[in-house]
Amino acid sequence: MEAKPPQLSDANTQISRIALYALLVLLAIAILFPSYYWMVATSLKTNPEAFYYPPDFYPPKPTLEHYHEIMTRGDINVPRWGWNSLVIAVATTAVTLFVTSMAAYGFARLEFPFKNLIFIVVIFTLMIPSQIYMIPNYLLVRDLGWLDSYHAVIWPAAPNVFGLFLLRQFFSTFPRELEEAAIVDGAGRLRIYWQILIPVNRNALIALGIFVFLHSWNDLFWPLIVLSRVENRTLPVGLAVLAGAYGAGDSFSEPALIMAASSMSSIPVLIVYVIFQRRITQSFMLTGMGGR
Amino acid sequence: MFARYRQSLLPDKRGVSGSWRSWKWYLGNYAFILPFMLLFVVFILRPILASFQMSFFRWEVFGPKPFIGLENCDELLNDDLWWVALRNTVYFAFLTSALLTTLPIFIAITLNLPFRGRNDFRALFFFPYVLSASVVGLVMRWLLGQQFGIVNHLLGSVGVGPIPFIADSDLVIPSLSVITLWWAFGFPMLIYLAGLSNIPQDIYEAARIDGARGWQMTRYITIPLLRPIILFVAVTQLISHFQVFAQPYVITNGGPAQDSFTVIFYMFRAAWTYFRMGFGTAMAVSLAVIIMAFTLLQFRFGGRRLEY
Repeated sequence: MEAKPPQLSDANTQISRIALYALLVLLAIAILFPSYYWMVATSLKTNPEAFYYPPDFYPPKPTLEHYHEIMTRGDINVPRWGWNSLVIAVATTAVTLFVTSMAAYGFARLEFPFKNLIFIVVIFTLMIPSQIYMIPNYLLVRDLGWLDSYHAVIWPAAPNVFGLFLLRQFFSTFPRELEEAAIVDGAGRLRIYWQILIPVNRNALIALGIFVFLHSWNDLFWPLIVLSRVENRTLPVGLAVLAGAYGAGDSFSEPALIMAASSMSSIPVLIVYVIFQRRITQSFMLTGMGGR
Repeated sequence: MFARYRQSLLPDKRGVSGSWRSWKWYLGNYAFILPFMLLFVVFILRPILASFQMSFFRWEVFGPKPFIGLENCDELLNDDLWWVALRNTVYFAFLTSALLTTLPIFIAITLNLPFRGRNDFRALFFFPYVLSASVVGLVMRWLLGQQFGIVNHLLGSVGVGPIPFIADSDLVIPSLSVITLWWAFGFPMLIYLAGLSNIPQDIYEAARIDGARGWQMTRYITIPLLRPIILFVAVTQLISHFQVFAQPYVITNGGPAQDSFTVIFYMFRAAWTYFRMGFGTAMAVSLAVIIMAFTLLQFRFGGRRLEY
């Protein structure tokens, strides 16, 4: 007999099923309504319309004026911020994957003096919250003349200790016999790394890549510190500064404009997410527990 | 034959060590970890040590930087704002972690049931997590406003409120916690789903034969088997929410008054508004010590793996 996964209690299956769907649909509405519907609906109103009370559930006369305003105004440069975010996230992901996978190969498959000691020191820093690096790193980046440049954001993020730990675990499980067979066929270290371990573990690398990309794309604290000029900001920094400039807490001036900026910055994310959702959720399941 | 090849790749202590051949070989092996280690030393190890060192100095961007021993620490202990920020941070971290550890268990168990469309629900529920804190903050601020917020309008239509979610001293931290729950619950949900998929199905089959039904299975099988993962989630959530900054920065600017001001927010202000880098590192070091205490708890309790 085939083992069945846990079932809804058999007697009330039909009722339970309807209740279950109702609950899930409610939760889905609670997620989609704020994040997409109300944000986009507000962005299509005029600012006075956004303050109507009671509020209109859809814009009475939808207008794209705020989107147009964003494209022409210098201080809310969402496309430019999006470009900065994209360049930084892509470069960070590429550099991180490259240096981290090379080191993971070294720690997983090669021998050299002090290997375990070095690895323990590296892993130990996982326990230390990243904010402790911020002030000394800021001073270093400033002395290097990197403030307000992509370098300031990309390089400090490249040594990803968690990623090293994750990839080392995957690389360690590759069977020794297959590696020896490759050596017999004349493969050196570079070929084993580049032509065997990288392709065999591509799922782990993609998962880590998605993880790193999303963290870089959404990071606020560090870019906020090192990118100060308007045209150099990333999307999270640009929007956070807007949040401060247009009132705090309950007071909110020009909500329609702000919601247009938010929509513009998150609609590309939605599109990418819809296309790759299976891949993205699987990656987070894989990386979520450090590959355990 | 294999042994010889293997030795050439991985020279052991008896083998070729000491010779020029192995020296060159080891150098090649070091080359693989060199780029990572270089960046690691410059951007992680050095700043950790520098932070500890700087916290003993009056380190301001301009002017002399004298050694002052524990004066920064002393100032922190006597600083009312520090204690307010610490209290807010601890309150927020524990409340948010409690929500983010418990509720996703039940969502994960529900989404692990066999029904059509469960993968779509998984993807939908994870979605808010990919939005940046800035977008989430701005949208939530607009939704939860006391005067013009749509949530208060809907509550008003059933005769409740208006509730000053983010403008009231007592409500602001719980509100930020619930916003964070909305934003991030998909991540622990996926971790729990990964854990659930590792529980062998025959355990449920055996329990069914013994007469166990729905809730009993959850209570006596699923949750006990998930325990190591629940612990892992609780500790990692606690560590990450101790470092909260973006939500109060974007949503409340630390207000009303200082009621949502947090430790990292204070460090940010000390270092980049008042340029008191030494004082800022003293805060970072203090928080690091608190967080490390919780990480050690994880090693104490979370190290075991459960066998089925």
